Amino acid sequence: MHEGEAFGPWLARQLRHRGMTQAHLALELDVTRAAVSAWITGRAEPREDKKRAIARVLGTDEATVHTRTADAQPIRPVRWYHRPAHADGGREFGNAAAFAFDADLAVLAREATQNSLDERYDASRPVRVRYTLHELTGEHLRLFLDALQWDRLLPHYEVAAAQQQKVGRVIAEGIRELLETDSLLLLRVDDYNASGLTGPDYGDGRFAAVVRRQLDSHKTSGLAGGSYGLGKATLWATSRLGLVLVGSTLSEPHEGRTERRVVGRLDLPWREVDGDAFAGPAWLGEPDTEPGFENVSRSWWADEETVEKLQLTRSGTDPGTSFLIVGAHDAAGDAESLQEMHEKLLRSLAANFWAAMTAGTKGAPVLEASVTTLRNGQVLLGEERVDPHAHEPARSRALKAYLDGTTTDRITGTEDVVLTHVPLTVPPLRGGKGRGVEHRAVLLVTPANDADVRPNQLVCMRGNRMTVSVRRVGDLPLGTNAFQAVLLAGRATGGEPPTDADNLAEQFLRAAEPPEHNDWTRTEELANAYARGARTRIDEFRKEMMAAVRVLVARREERTQGGPAILRELLRLDGGTALGRRVEGHPTIRHVDGELDARGAWRVRVEVRLPVRDDAWLLAPVAKFDVRSGGRPSVAWAELEAGDNCRIEEGNIRFRAGARTASFIGVTNVATHPVSAAMAPLIVDLQKVRRAGA
Amino acid sequence: MKRLIPYPTPVGDVTFKVTGAQLDGRALDLSMVSQQDRVVALHMAGREKWREARLEIQAQIPDIELANGPWTEVVCVAVLTERATNSRTVVRLRPWSGSWGGTAVVPRGAFRARLDLTLSVVATVGGVAGRVVATAQDSWLVDLTARVPVRQRELDINEMDFRDGPHEWLRPFRDAPWLVETSGDMPTIHLNTGFEGVTELLGAGSDPTERAVGRLLATQIATDAWTAMFHSAVSDLEVDGDGVPQWPSGWRDWVLRSMLPDILPELSPADGLLEIHGRRSESSGWHELQPLIQYAASRRAHIAKNLGTVIRVLGRSGRESTG
Repeated sequence: MHEGEAFGPWLARQLRHRGMTQAHLALELDVTRAAVSAWITGRAEPREDKKRAIARVLGTDEATVHTRTADAQPIRPVRWYHRPAHADGGREFGNAAAFAFDADLAVLAREATQNSLDERYDASRPVRVRYTLHELTGEHLRLFLDALQWDRLLPHYEVAAAQQQKVGRVIAEGIRELLETDSLLLLRVDDYNASGLTGPDYGDGRFAAVVRRQLDSHKTSGLAGGSYGLGKATLWATSRLGLVLVGSTLSEPHEGRTERRVVGRLDLPWREVDGDAFAGPAWLGEPDTEPGFENVSRSWWADEETVEKLQLTRSGTDPGTSFLIVGAHDAAGDAESLQEMHEKLLRSLAANFWAAMTAGTKGAPVLEASVTTLRNGQVLLGEERVDPHAHEPARSRALKAYLDGTTTDRITGTEDVVLTHVPLTVPPLRGGKGRGVEHRAVLLVTPANDADVRPNQLVCMRGNRMTVSVRRVGDLPLGTNAFQAVLLAGRATGGEPPTDADNLAEQFLRAAEPPEHNDWTRTEELANAYARGARTRIDEFRKEMMAAVRVLVARREERTQGGPAILRELLRLDGGTALGRRVEGHPTIRHVDGELDARGAWRVRVEVRLPVRDDAWLLAPVAKFDVRSGGRPSVAWAELEAGDNCRIEEGNIRFRAGARTASFIGVTNVATHPVSAAMAPLIVDLQKVRRAGA
Repeated sequence: MKRLIPYPTPVGDVTFKVTGAQLDGRALDLSMVSQQDRVVALHMAGREKWREARLEIQAQIPDIELANGPWTEVVCVAVLTERATNSRTVVRLRPWSGSWGGTAVVPRGAFRARLDLTLSVVATVGGVAGRVVATAQDSWLVDLTARVPVRQRELDINEMDFRDGPHEWLRPFRDAPWLVETSGDMPTIHLNTGFEGVTELLGAGSDPTERAVGRLLATQIATDAWTAMFHSAVSDLEVDGDGVPQWPSGWRDWVLRSMLPDILPELSPADGLLEIHGRRSESSGWHELQPLIQYAASRRAHIAKNLGTVIRVLGRSGRESTG
């Protein structure tokens, strides 16, 4: 048993590589042309002595012919292939799919990670997603650009940058920055334990879906969203240079091999270089020999040195794909520095995938994600694993409690998670019979953390726990404690294997999503695919979930005081809001500062705010020790010294008529201190002058 | 009134919260603990006669600042007080995973109705032990009798037939449409449902004239209530050894603090309280105060606005009927 390629296709490719016909080989081996044809079409395989002879003719060793995990000849030199312009003269000025997305790092992290999740290979282990920002300068940059055959690309970029379309401006900026700063930012997106880019170069399969096609959502199962659909365009959109290199370890062999399948793709607008017109995309790869695709650059099986130079080295042999975005930037503009981009990626991963990263005490999460930042191969910000409990404490606590089966039926502690079910009636498909199937969605509610700035939200998820919508729960009774709620519907309820009802609900909810997958609503698709009343079911489901949240968070007993509302509002002890703020009608102390002097007396500076009045104010300054029990003992002043707008009159202060502010200084009389001044706080106040005898 | 402290205090925030409660070992639903209002309602349906409540308290204090400053032997304590019974219980919290936590035990018999729960940080500073160096800005309210954790800011309204209701003392007043009662923890307006038309008039009628008259009636009742509450609060003042009146607690405090600035605008609240108390006990100048009290009460009842509405509505309907 070996995993090599079937003999026939392998032999056919070796002949093409050498430009040798079947007749020629038959002659060399002294067999009939029919025999060679039978080998190539797979009807027969040559005997051992013929295989040895074939090895000799192809100039290789016997082992290669036996294992067929490599080609007999070294690969033809890798080069860029630019698609010639359309024969009809049509010109495209950018990738339409790339325009559908903002080249925002947060969006990239969401779309790329969702693709990785959808391509999970071994369902018993998490998909590991790693984002690496890598800034290259100087010698490191030159080595990389050489490997990329930059000098061959530059003429194309210069022409494209000169164009006035949106793409042209973005490219011009990218080239300008590269030349002026002599630095280039690479963003690598790796996934491990994912399918990898399997399948042929041009036919149906993951590889072609990513590298050859636009707007194609290659679907592995009817339930997962289209992986590598529209979302892959964000990879190219994030590159200022429209350039992404791809390296993949395959989960199932192609051409007998799995490791280091490499290709590059460049998206440029229509352009004319050296008199030749080109349509748009270009690929970096090995010139093909397959009939119909001659000289088109196809993926090649690179050696370790090449992937190293192209910054595509993967760790280990776990299948998955590495996308290297060349000239990465955040078009949203809120992340300029490496640190900001690093943090933006972390935040986006946490916000979109906290659920997939949350695991029960037993069992692994569906996803693990991390972000690393390098400069010229040196670690700048070490690998930072996204911790859902740090970013979304309440929500991930709710999900963990559900996975662990530790939910409760009522909330008695701030960490408690309460569970209830929300029914969803999935109607039959159009033309189908019956009343439909009832699915029980899971609703989890837990108290929000103190620092939560957006409490009282309901997150709805389905599938592999992707967030569909986040909605505020309104119409809550006054004084409801802040909470977070999570609704798991369809397959997100997590039964293994999922029940029929789970699957039906999953499909139904997908149909209820608009193209952005951000809501469950009355879509056309619902009306077309399902029996009458499907749209009503969605409305009911939405109402039911909100009602269920309210039941869980609302107080069990309503307020007991009743009475007519018009009377109640006039009897609010805090005066309500209608009374209006009144201006203070009496002098108030605006500010006091002071310290103890060497004798242990308080020396205080007092600023007073005065309401405007024609008469002068006469008030007594009072100092008291703030002791905890009993009346506060007053202390006498040893000195009073007038500051602005006042004068001292027999221990009282007369403020100047019409003044708005005033100040004075007071020193307490140590002899009247009941305790050492260092022992108690001091209160300073202004009082009405009490006449002697009072 | 400003306060100066003669020793260093930390700048950082001190906050705390009640994270859960138990009545005789049974966990209380967290909806009885309002984080927003900072109130714990300790009434559990079907469990009137509980003996002991336990409150889980969690506090955040500026640990790093305290560790690097002049403070040593830092201790965090929660303090339960009730003014009505002059009770005071101190619970020492323990450092626990980045915050401070502990359990306050509230024996039913030791308190009457409403406790204040505050939090203080105590430390040795300047060689003196046990100094309060910081206090949480917001306190909690623990209500032993409430079913709903809210800071009650509205009066009770009791709608019943005075003739044959459960309150026998109301029977002699069966011809009164309403009565204001200001004894007890919260003033109550008794509305006589036996007085035909009163409750209907106060309800949300559809006719604009009816609605306007209903509002006017509410204004009248509210003016009565505020006047009665003010007199009741002033007559209940306690004085200290020097004859200086002390601020009351509960609704009386609210009523005085809110009405005094309207009655004696040129005096600070403390001076205003002293003035009012002096005039009332010496009966000099007390009568001159009556219009001011009436003014303050009518302001709270929005009498000007509601009377204006009635006059406008009546004017309009008058034009319609003549036109």
